[in-house]
Formats: sequence, structure tokens, C-alpha cells
Amino acid sequence: MEGIIKMEYIKQLKRSLKQYVGNNALCINGNFYTYRELAIAVSNIRNTLTIATQRQDKLIGLVTNDDLQTYASILALWLEGKAYVPINPEVPLERNLQVLSLTEATYVLDSSIASVYTDYTVLNPTVTDEVEIYVEPAVIDENDIAYILFTSGTTGQPKGVPITFSNVQALVTAIDDEPSFNLQASDRCLQMFELTFDFSVVAYLFPLLAGACFYTIPKGAIKYFYIFKLISEQKLTVLTMVPSIINYLRPYFSEINAPHVRYCSFGGGALHSDIAKEWSTCLPNSKIFNYYGPTEFTVYSGFYEYIPNSATKAYNGVIAIGTPQKNTSYLLVDQKNEEVAVGVTGELCLAGPQITNGYWKNKAKNTQSFFTRLESGVSVRYYKTGDLCIKDDEGDFLYVGRVDFQVKIRGYRVELAEIEFHARVKSDHKVAMVALAITNHLGNAELGLAIASDPFDTTTIFEHMRTQMPPYMIPMHTVFVKEFPHSINGKIDRKALKKYFDIHKD
Amino acid sequence: MNREEIVPKVKEAFVTVLEHENFELLDTTTANDVDGWESITHMMIISEVEKKFDIKFKLMDLMNMDNVGDLLDTIVAELTTK
Repeated sequence: MEGIIKMEYIKQLKRSLKQYVGNNALCINGNFYTYRELAIAVSNIRNTLTIATQRQDKLIGLVTNDDLQTYASILALWLEGKAYVPINPEVPLERNLQVLSLTEATYVLDSSIASVYTDYTVLNPTVTDEVEIYVEPAVIDENDIAYILFTSGTTGQPKGVPITFSNVQALVTAIDDEPSFNLQASDRCLQMFELTFDFSVVAYLFPLLAGACFYTIPKGAIKYFYIFKLISEQKLTVLTMVPSIINYLRPYFSEINAPHVRYCSFGGGALHSDIAKEWSTCLPNSKIFNYYGPTEFTVYSGFYEYIPNSATKAYNGVIAIGTPQKNTSYLLVDQKNEEVAVGVTGELCLAGPQITNGYWKNKAKNTQSFFTRLESGVSVRYYKTGDLCIKDDEGDFLYVGRVDFQVKIRGYRVELAEIEFHARVKSDHKVAMVALAITNHLGNAELGLAIASDPFDTTTIFEHMRTQMPPYMIPMHTVFVKEFPHSINGKIDRKALKKYFDIHKD
Repeated sequence: MNREEIVPKVKEAFVTVLEHENFELLDTTTANDVDGWESITHMMIISEVEKKFDIKFKLMDLMNMDNVGDLLDTIVAELTTK
């Protein structure tokens, strides 16, 4: 029984479902659903799960449609002590099947009219009114998985990051401990993220814990304008976004005035101080936070509060990531995993209760990315983020860059090697192909593919890539460069190669 | 400039951004009908159209733009108030 007591956040979810019955919980495509409606949906899905699955069936596939049933499925799974394995219907089927097969899930919760997961036992989270509300949590083992997310991997195979119930609890505890961020039942919050993206967890979970309402973005909507529409028409009070949103909205800042916004949290990419300053004038009453954290450390590990018209810490124009949150430790190391001095660039490593137990069935990667260190006689396990940082003499951490070829595209982590792998594998032209992140005139990273050849028809290459990777991983620009520029030591000079991309047209 | 004159230039903007011509621009055409037309490319198309016609859209108009017909109407309106 101890497990239940420890999972305070699950109990809080139960309390929200019982306490805020008349409040709106979600707004999807203009339709509001109350906590009562959510509780009914959750109870229905729990019935379905109880009838169809066994206690030992812990990992359940979840097709991430934008509807009440999908969100209710997450809560139903958690109340049953099970994990969701989100699969995005817009991602190629082949990749989703790979994810399901890696997790050995046999059940898929799918609210689609016709499910494509015919080799699996599809559970339809249909909702009928005739159900007794049942939101009492089952006995939950805190070491069980709450969700597994897959991110881009270098070998063409996605990497799974399992997050346990106790990891999520540690995140909730840390955020609750932060006095400058406090959601209320009256808050109206933006949930702009696809559920396969870990940032979505904070965007739906924190509003639900507070009895507040979150607003989603319909699939197929033009995200940037839909977000603005929600902010201005629904008078949102809490925004959680990736920086690329404001980069694209920047030309229209003079038309945005949202005094009702209380909090605006950024994460999932570098936030530049110049644009943050301009954006802050659109939100005159809002606190602005720059959050940092990798999927492997349960969404957030720390933050820096951006205060307009005050001295802002930044490195190369990128706002500092500040200090670690409660129970989290930051450590900067050199290539031998030894701590570097204050003011020296090192790889940021994270320790604390939010750390994942390791990549899903990937021993090689786990050896690379995690290490233990003896601190005051105790062995502490660290995750190596691949992010380079500097710690200043006041203890704030400044983001410097990446150690490898991973880039962020609209908040999603992308391994350039994975794109190159899929570009080359089916091509008749056995020539060098290099994927690059190019910064456009708005400051956003866009993917380019450079091919070392005379021009040829790339239709089959792109058709293949589209069957293997989600849309954000498909290069938007292609150039043919007969001879790739090389650096003195013979490596392809990626920096010089970027200059071949003409995306600075204005 | 009337709608008929506008369409070819708008099409050029789409082709520049999407790098293909496998689409028709009817009033009822939406992002769902055209390969590659999604949130990001939409922003690029908008910026391309603004450059081509030397106009600047208002956020209010962009927010309520649901199909190509709305886009054309907005361009006409912007051109007449220029």
C-alpha cells in the first residue's frame, strides 16, 4: 500500500476529478469538456482496460489523437498503474510499428474511426454515459513506467526513454516547491504539444492537478495563428511553448497584447534574449521562465526567470538556463567525466530522482550516457545531456551548444545522422549526403540536405524518408554541391557547407 | 489587380516554398489538399506572398484564414488599401 501513498500526484489527479466536476478540464477544437465528463471518460476506459488486459500488461500503446478519449486514456492507464506508449498518427506507420514492437506492447488504445494497428489488440476508448465514476487509484508500484517516449536515434532506430511514476512524482514535487509558479483552478492553459513530445506532460498534467483548463491545437491547424487565436479569444493565462513559436510570430508582435497571461514558460530550445525582450512587451503582466530539461530527466530540471529591463544572463545571446530545481544536481564535466572549474565549458550532467532508469533495451547507449560518481561516500548516478554549459560565479548555468550532431527542430530533438541514414539507404546514387540545421532569417532551425553530386531527381529519396521519419525530420531544402568543402583535417566542413543554402532571401 | 491576376503570383510563392507544382489553387483548397503545406511552410508562404505583392498581412486576418479563397480575398483587400 505504501506505493499509493507515495504517488501523491495520482491522488491529486483523483481529487481534481472529484472536486472540480463543474470546471472545464479541456478545450479541444472549440469544444469544452468538464472534469465530470473527463471522469466519465476515464471510468469508461478503466472498465475497458479491466476487462481486456491483465495486471501484468503494463505498457499500452496510445494513438495520440486530439480528443477527450486520448487524454482520458492517459489518466485511466495511470490510475490502473499502467504506462502509455504514445504513437502519433501523423508519423509513418512503419516507425510506429517499430516503437510498438520495441516495447512489446500488445494492446493499443485508439480512438480513430478505423484503426490501422490490425496486428494488435485495439481497444476503443468509447465513452458511454452509463458508467459509475471510478477514479480511485489501483495499487501503483512507483518503479513502474508511467510513459515511454521515443526520440531520434543515430542508427535509424528510435531510442526509448522510459519514465517511471516516481520520476513524474519527483517532477511534480519540484515544481510544487517553486513559489514563483502556482497554477489555480481558474487558469486557462495552452497545451500546444503532440503527446509524443515530453513537453506535453507539463502542459496537460499541471493544469489537471490544479483543476484548471487546458486548450489543445487541432491537428492540421496552422499552429502559430491558432495559438494566437486562443491567447486572444480565450484569454489564456498560462503559456508553455517552444521558442520557435515566438520566432515565427515575431513579425506580428506589434499586434499582440495579452495582459491576462500570468506565466509564459519556454523550453525545448534556445531562447534568445532579444526576442524574449520584444515578446515580454506583448505580455505586460506575465512572468517569463526559461526552462531546461531533457526527456531523460522527466521534462524539466531547472529554470531561469527572465525579468525584462533587468540584467539578463546570456551567452551568445541565448538566455541562461539558471539553476537546478529541488532535489536535482547539475555537474559540468570534461571528456573524462571529471568536474570542470567555474567559468570553464563542460558537458552538463544531471542527477536526482527525475533521472530515467536508462534507455529502453539499449545497453551500449546506456554505458555511454550514464555514469556514477562517488560524492561524500554515496554513489550518485548522472545523465550526460550532450549539452555544453558554463557555470558562472553566482551558480547560474549558461547554455553554450551541443557536443554532437543533434539539433532541435521546432523543439524536437533530431539526430542529423538518422536523416543521413534514411536519405542514403535507398538512393541509387552512392554519394555523400549531409544533413544540416540551417538558421533562417527568423532565427529558426530548418533542415537542409546537401548532396555531393551533379543534380539528380531526389523524388525516391524523399518518398523513402517520408515513410521512415516524422514530418519535422524531412529536410526542407536540398542543394547539390559537386565537391564538399573539407577542413584541414579532412572532415567535411559543415559550417562552410551551410553557406550553399540560400534561405536568407530577404 | 484582380483575383485572376493574383492567382499565378500566389502559385509562384507556393512553388518556391514547397518545391513542387502538384497542386491547384482553388478558392476551397486548404492545407490538407496540398503536399507539404503545414504550419511551418504556411509561415514561409505567407512571408513569400508578402514580399511578392509588397504587402504586410495583419495577424487578425491571418488568424481567420482557412483556405486559398480567404488568402486571395485578403491580398485583394491589402492591395486596395495600399
